[in-house]
Amino acid sequence: MRAPVIALLLACGLAAPLRGQADTPIRLEGRVPPAVAEAVRAIADSVARAGLPVRPLFRKALEGGAKGVPADRIIAAVGTVASQLAQAAQALRSEHVARDPDAIEAGGYAINAGLSAGQVAELARGNRPPQAVAASLQSAGTLAALGVPPGQAVALVHEWISTGRSPDQVLLLPQQLQAAMARGASPAQAASGIARGEQPGASGNHPEPPSHAQDRSHRP
Amino acid sequence: MTDGPGYHPMVRRLLDGELTLQDLPPELQSEGEAALRSILPRCAPPPVSFSPSFEQRVMAAVRSRPRPRPRNAWGWLGEVREIRLQLRPRLLALGVLAGIVLVALTSRLRSGSLAGTAAGGGTDSVYVRFVLYAPKVSSVALAGSFNEWDPTRTPLVPAGETGVWTVTLPLAPGQHTYAFVIDGQRWLPDPAAPAVDDGFGHHNSVMTVTATGGHTS
Repeated sequence: MRAPVIALLLACGLAAPLRGQADTPIRLEGRVPPAVAEAVRAIADSVARAGLPVRPLFRKALEGGAKGVPADRIIAAVGTVASQLAQAAQALRSEHVARDPDAIEAGGYAINAGLSAGQVAELARGNRPPQAVAASLQSAGTLAALGVPPGQAVALVHEWISTGRSPDQVLLLPQQLQAAMARGASPAQAASGIARGEQPGASGNHPEPPSHAQDRSHRP
Repeated sequence: MTDGPGYHPMVRRLLDGELTLQDLPPELQSEGEAALRSILPRCAPPPVSFSPSFEQRVMAAVRSRPRPRPRNAWGWLGEVREIRLQLRPRLLALGVLAGIVLVALTSRLRSGSLAGTAAGGGTDSVYVRFVLYAPKVSSVALAGSFNEWDPTRTPLVPAGETGVWTVTLPLAPGQHTYAFVIDGQRWLPDPAAPAVDDGFGHHNSVMTVTATGGHTS
């Protein structure tokens, strides 16, 4: 009977850490004041019961703690994130992606950037493979955060998807916008120019942002 | 203060990391961009490349070396050897059961809160080099969504006395928010990346990593 016992112990030993990770996604101890940790856990419990991802809440709390933000503002910001996740999940429910935590998190990000719940649903509805809903929402959210009117941001991402652009091209729309804005265009003008097919870097001398550069793919 | 070749004072502040491109008035945007572009060669040297035969030569040299003999019991434990496994029916059944339990558990985790944030769900990483020109500071670190906003985890390394600080790290494809931390206290968005409201009255930078290793934003 020794072998079955070993197999059982192995299964239990591997399962226990996995269950532990599910209960405590990110440690808050020592990173935020105890009152913040307690409040965030309470918010996270109710968010988890609703089937929503809790990791964005912990991450927002850690960001606030690292930046030395007062406790009440951190808790308020975490509450806002929770509310935006709930709105995003509600908007995505009818689009059959309500169980995708990445899409919900990206939807919350887009709502925070200024998109309405209706626009989040619209973007998810117009999505088509291989484009990930989360990537479309992130891209539209960043466009809106950069100053593009939310409706125009949604329309631009929609157009990119419907014309068969690759997922990477959709993800890189904010970079294109930034390049156009660096040449003096307003966010709305830059978005219109991209929609018309104007390439800010068409001359071939479009600079890579100096502060970071991708070196090469790594396949672990 | 940066000594540029006759740059406007606001452009010099951009190079010092005190302003972002968006902070510049429209008439200074192109000058600011050109100034940033001029420091790019110094900040981001091209990656080292190896000839195609390099790996073959290295592996040939490794294989030609004699395998060391284990000196003691501990050495024997660590020695690589061939192992033959023979499953008995009862053990096999239990193993399958354990596998089903594990698959069920990991499926639950994937559909829950622990799923990764990278759009597209890919697990491949892409090496990204961060560079900041920050003279006369004693430390620069990177904090963001990829390191749980911990400024102690990802310090940048100074390139001599040039004022250029760099770090390279693997990131999952998708969108990441981050900021530089100067001297452990001052949070600075990346001057060359899109900035978004952080909900605390400041700004974070946004970077997009693509699975094809193309561009960032």
